[in-house]
Amino acid sequence: MKKSTVSDIKAGAMFALPGLLVFFLVVIIPFVYGFYLTFTDWNGVSQLKSFVGFRNYADTFRDTEFWSSMWLTLRYVVISVFLVNIVAFFLAYLLSNGIRGQNFFRAGFFTPNLIGGVVLGFIWKFIFSNVFTAVGKSLGAEWLSKSMLSAPKSAYFALILVTVWQLAGYMMLIYIAGFTGLSHDVLEAASIDGATGWRRMRSIILPLMVPSFVICIFLTLSRTFMVYDLNLTLTKGGPYASTRLVAMHVYEKAFTSRNYGVGQAEALFLFLVVALISGVQVWMGRKKEVSA
Amino acid sequence: MKRSITVISVVLMALLMFTGCSKGSTESASTTATAASVSKVSITLLNSKGEIQTGLEKIAAQFEKDKGIHVEVIACGAGEVPYTKVTTMYNSGNAPTLAILDPTDIVGLTKEYALELTGEAWTAETDSLNLVIDGKIYSFPFCVEGRGIIYNKAAIEATLGREFDPRTINSYSSFKAILAELRSKGMENPVFIAKEDWSLGAHQLGFIYDAYDGTTAGSEVIINELKAGKDPLTIDRFNQFVDTMDLMLEYNFAKADPLGADYDQGALELACGNVAFWPNGCWAWPNLVEGGADADGEFGFISFVLGDDTSDFANNSIQASASKQIMIDRVQASAEQQAAAKEFINYLVYDATGQKMFVEETALIPAAKNNPNAPLDPLGQDIAERTAEGRLYTSCFIAPSDHWSVMGAAMQKYIAGMSSKKELASTLSQYWKAQN
Repeated sequence: MKKSTVSDIKAGAMFALPGLLVFFLVVIIPFVYGFYLTFTDWNGVSQLKSFVGFRNYADTFRDTEFWSSMWLTLRYVVISVFLVNIVAFFLAYLLSNGIRGQNFFRAGFFTPNLIGGVVLGFIWKFIFSNVFTAVGKSLGAEWLSKSMLSAPKSAYFALILVTVWQLAGYMMLIYIAGFTGLSHDVLEAASIDGATGWRRMRSIILPLMVPSFVICIFLTLSRTFMVYDLNLTLTKGGPYASTRLVAMHVYEKAFTSRNYGVGQAEALFLFLVVALISGVQVWMGRKKEVSA
Repeated sequence: MKRSITVISVVLMALLMFTGCSKGSTESASTTATAASVSKVSITLLNSKGEIQTGLEKIAAQFEKDKGIHVEVIACGAGEVPYTKVTTMYNSGNAPTLAILDPTDIVGLTKEYALELTGEAWTAETDSLNLVIDGKIYSFPFCVEGRGIIYNKAAIEATLGREFDPRTINSYSSFKAILAELRSKGMENPVFIAKEDWSLGAHQLGFIYDAYDGTTAGSEVIINELKAGKDPLTIDRFNQFVDTMDLMLEYNFAKADPLGADYDQGALELACGNVAFWPNGCWAWPNLVEGGADADGEFGFISFVLGDDTSDFANNSIQASASKQIMIDRVQASAEQQAAAKEFINYLVYDATGQKMFVEETALIPAAKNNPNAPLDPLGQDIAERTAEGRLYTSCFIAPSDHWSVMGAAMQKYIAGMSSKKELASTLSQYWKAQN
């Protein structure tokens, strides 16, 4: 018995150690070091770091811009997660019923996800500022001849639009996998019992798809909370800092204002919020899972 | 049991070797470097001006041929913040021997990392452009950049049907008059205002500090007054600045959608002659060329007019300063490398080949006045002419690193008509009061 435990550890260590080592070096150590930095007044380059206690945390609570961008981000996350998952779910539903050219459409919807956020942002910036406005001007439509990115509300909407466009395809794939994995026995039994259309969807398909929802909502939550690349290239936080999401605010605080300690404290706070929300979401989702 | 100990110790050994290896390899690398340095010193140069990367590489290659010192030019990628890059390099222990940076960044790094250069001979050639920190010089003024309002002479003359003399625009009223005249002759909106926050926040709004009395010391005076709580609305330069801004907004090409007007479009409209004026600096030349401007087209600067006093220096000259400075690392570079770095700077200032290549390969305006080569582009030529005639003021205000971002946003709000002059003043005041 003893021997087998030891050899288990041994075998486990052989496989886990390299990965663990890398994880430790690139995730745990920087995290702990970052935590330590929140107690200093480091400016990012100085050799001296003075210990300032909880001052950076106090500053975080006093930083009204941080809270307003946090609120802005929360709204962005809620709207995006909702829209991404609805769009992805219906795309997946449509594209798993064997319609003509199904694989072509699947690939098409998935492609935006293969383009990095930075490039995507530049492409859409061009579309919003040049293509749409040119169309608007040639049609004489006043509302379309102004760039969507030049007013706070429409720029915010543009950000959500591009997010949905980017993420829906990825989530669609996960939902398609979910649909493919649905047990035919159960569906057949349901149809014998007379369940069709909406009843079949609500009582059979949706409960069985809960694991896919848990994964997709988790992925969209974490990706939208941490979005930076798209925010930077599409609106650059503008116009007049009205679409500056929280990740960008943290970056600006640490690197533009050279206030590393406060930026790090805000990043830690953001981490806690994201961890808490995603944790609760996964826990609640798991409770709803049923097995066929 | 015994076997498992062996296995664990083997794993540990392997891990040790792992770390040992990496250490060993750096050691051997540094030994080869020292071995090579007997005959050849190798230094690095961090370049934060992307557009001159190829030019600098050519200069470095020539320098190596002439002086036997290898200079590796490290590019700071587009969109990468130079300060972040240099910070990373310092933290990872491979600081660049020479770093081309903005004055604000130099100020941030000087105390701990910059080599003092007060005694260097070239300081006499760059006199008023030297960045003086606590009475000492820590950086070499690399190039001069000037800003004001760029005009397109051909477009103006074609519209007006008469000759245009830029010197006649030397007050708010004369600027207003020519804008009205252009409008009456068919150029409806002759001014382009780019929406970029760095342009609005640092370059346009910056005139309220730089034009205080035309010196950096003067810009500090007004900044200190603002920090002490002085209301911007009681500062002449602020009121004059907003008046000029309002005038340009009245004649703004992108009036319908001021925040949709991006920088590249500005270059295009001015180069094509759809607008006559664009408040900007000489760095816009490459963009103007991309926009289709003729290499020997008649472009130049008028002052960013402030108020109606035609004898005011701000209305007869433009701002120009050494917007990029080179510092030498004091901490991580060896004495040999520091000497090599100094030699590189001397090469740019005194060597005939260095002087010529500087102007021709980088297309920048040298800060050292002993360089006999004339700048290549019309905007640079205008600045060189103004240097000779003394129609420049060399103030270069130093603000915290987030000034352009915070005040840029406030300016965007103002040009979009979403805030009043009073709100702009209050944001400015709050910003500076928070810096105490």
